[in-house]
Amino acid sequence: MNEIGQRVDQLLAIPPYSLPSEERQTALLALLKDELEYACSRSPVYRNYIEHWPIDMRSARTISDLPYLPIGLLKAQRPFSLVEQQEIKRILTSSSTTGQMPSRIALDSPTARRMTKGVVVIAQDYIGSSRRPYLVVDVPASTRGGPELGARGAAIQGLQPFASEATYCLELDRDGDLTLDRDKLLQFVESRGSSPVLVYGFTYILWKYLIKPLFAENISLGMPDVHILHSGGWKLLQEEAVDKRSFNDGVARVFGCSADRVIDFYGMVENVGVIYPDCSEGNKHVPAFADVLVRNPLTLEQVSEGEQGIVQVSSVLPTSFPGNLLLTEDIAQIVSYDGCRCGRRGTCFRFVGRVAKSELRGCGNIERTRQQAA
Amino acid sequence: MSEIIRVIGSTEEISALATELRETASETEITTSAILDGFEAWAAALGERETADIPGVQFLRMWLRRGTLEPIIARELGLNELCGGWMADGHARLKAYPLGIVGHWPAGNIEIQPALSMTCALLGGNASLVRVPSGLDELTRLIMEKLEQSDRAGVLTGRIRMLVFDHTRKDLQEAMARSVDGAMIWGGEEAVLSVRGLPFPHWARLAIFGPRISVTAMDADSWSNSEGQESWCRRIARDVWQFDQQACSSPQVLFLEKKPGHSSQEFVQALKKAFESENQLHPRQTIHAALTTVICQARASWLLDNGANRAIFTQGPDWTILLGSGSEIPKPTQGKTLSVLEVDDLLDPIGKLDGNVQTLGLAMADTSRETKLASLAARRGVDRIVKLGRMHVFAPPWDGVDLIRPMVRMVRHVPSID
Repeated sequence: MNEIGQRVDQLLAIPPYSLPSEERQTALLALLKDELEYACSRSPVYRNYIEHWPIDMRSARTISDLPYLPIGLLKAQRPFSLVEQQEIKRILTSSSTTGQMPSRIALDSPTARRMTKGVVVIAQDYIGSSRRPYLVVDVPASTRGGPELGARGAAIQGLQPFASEATYCLELDRDGDLTLDRDKLLQFVESRGSSPVLVYGFTYILWKYLIKPLFAENISLGMPDVHILHSGGWKLLQEEAVDKRSFNDGVARVFGCSADRVIDFYGMVENVGVIYPDCSEGNKHVPAFADVLVRNPLTLEQVSEGEQGIVQVSSVLPTSFPGNLLLTEDIAQIVSYDGCRCGRRGTCFRFVGRVAKSELRGCGNIERTRQQAA
Repeated sequence: MSEIIRVIGSTEEISALATELRETASETEITTSAILDGFEAWAAALGERETADIPGVQFLRMWLRRGTLEPIIARELGLNELCGGWMADGHARLKAYPLGIVGHWPAGNIEIQPALSMTCALLGGNASLVRVPSGLDELTRLIMEKLEQSDRAGVLTGRIRMLVFDHTRKDLQEAMARSVDGAMIWGGEEAVLSVRGLPFPHWARLAIFGPRISVTAMDADSWSNSEGQESWCRRIARDVWQFDQQACSSPQVLFLEKKPGHSSQEFVQALKKAFESENQLHPRQTIHAALTTVICQARASWLLDNGANRAIFTQGPDWTILLGSGSEIPKPTQGKTLSVLEVDDLLDPIGKLDGNVQTLGLAMADTSRETKLASLAARRGVDRIVKLGRMHVFAPPWDGVDLIRPMVRMVRHVPSID
């Protein structure tokens, strides 16, 4: 296990977008195989799954041959852990729609440390490494909550290493709804607005509680040296007919910066320590310690450049849960397998959306039993 | 676009089409023999290149044959119906007459169902308004063009109009419901409940074929007999492959009765071979990404739930065999995912079936046990008990209901002079 940890650390130490594809694939493939082997040694049922894979994992020649776990298997009351209960330091939970079980991700100390390091390595490639005042468009309670930490809290905390200090500019009103704390925001802008600043918020929260009201009042905060990072998806904004361009323009106008300072990143708690920010070309890139495959739903083979399919994320960071190779429920398009004009090496892709809810509603689809129906 | 299939944008268009159908139907009475002649010609035309490979079309061709339909008509409407006469019933006489216009709401997962449902109403002399489910319009157009080609005189086509509109257009759904005298409604729970709630006239008769699943079972002497294994496995694969296992008659689970001293391993290998062959013959052409993720999840979930569970599957989502034991029906996955469960006694799983199960496919070497199991299944709510390999053979009663008779009026004439 120590040996695996050292090899992961070596990959984390490499500039994240510098390795040629083949070199990266070779290093990842060997490490992922060892991590799968380790996971099998920790969980007999996981071994049962891996041993039934149509290709023997040891003879796999590419990452795409390795056994992956559908992300839905992590949605459970009890986290699917590979470590003893006392070794679990924190449990991350995904955001989930009403009535659905969220994913629960068990983190031990080594995985938590790598998670932090992974986010830092990626983010500094986009916003630089210096610490700066950190404006969080959320309430402090998002990062509290005992042993479990939600997706919002995890994202906020992931950027904490870039913070010299943190200010939360939302509060809860009497009804428990989020609302903008204008005094706190203005105080922050007055005292730190002219220096480099980092802002983070969940995409919809940032828009609804900060950008939309200030935009309507034609307010500009005058913060040209800001980087605004946001994540969490576009579904709710699409319902309000807000597209990425109008979002970026609106955010830039309110903060008084250029639109290229607004960075959307794709990520999920299950893919711990890996985020996929948009580059200047609007593409998402894969760091040295991870991989993204896009699989054709009909064959589950990798798609060609320009094609869309189901996203599989791979990462060498986790060892506390079997999250090294996960088939997500997202759809993405491969832009190219190398050669993005932004200069970053390796696969670049664009997020397209969620896999549309199953339409298995034919005459052979029983959704409830007759007893329940009665 | 075909004359029969119309893209609909307004309620007025539906009313106009219904009026046109009523006029055609009232002007000329159509004989059963004319219908059967028309169907025979259509069956021949469907064998042509453009339509022959549409899933289910070969079955539709078989269904349309006189040899298939005459016994069904005779059983449901009486022998005399075939020669256009009245049937004696004591002192009275009986004859089937059409309801008028029958509306059809087919399920979206069976390519031939718009056509198939319509044929049932047509056999009763009715005209038909058919709502073509989204995604099936192109295939249905190909199928119906063959009818137009073979029925130049318009004997049958004059009584059929197929409507293409979005299922969310409540106004159009309601207009269609108001225009009909009967309805055949097929599909999942959500679809069936929403269609059943439409404003049908108070006289309209509804035949509802809601969501069901199907299961299969083999006694020990059937699966352990090396000679018959290959044939049984081929039959199972055929039943699983049709309609991508999404039909109500698609088997979701196979119960194998254990036999002391015999391992099912050889049988499972034969089943694997049969699945491979069937997949080569009939590879899937398209798939919804959600089904792919559901299949992957079912495989992982099965193997992670219990270390004793086993599975055989392809790298792609092509097919999956989940192996284990137990008498409960696992949650159906569809998409050619068959659970194979060993049980001590077939009475256990069959005794647990309920009305959710439409068809029980059987392979039984012991005929007296088969009779016993069939009776038990019937008592538990199963409507069809058939030989493996014949799960999808569309023959009435279907879901325990006749297919032609619900859409006719049986007129009784008691002569005024004894």
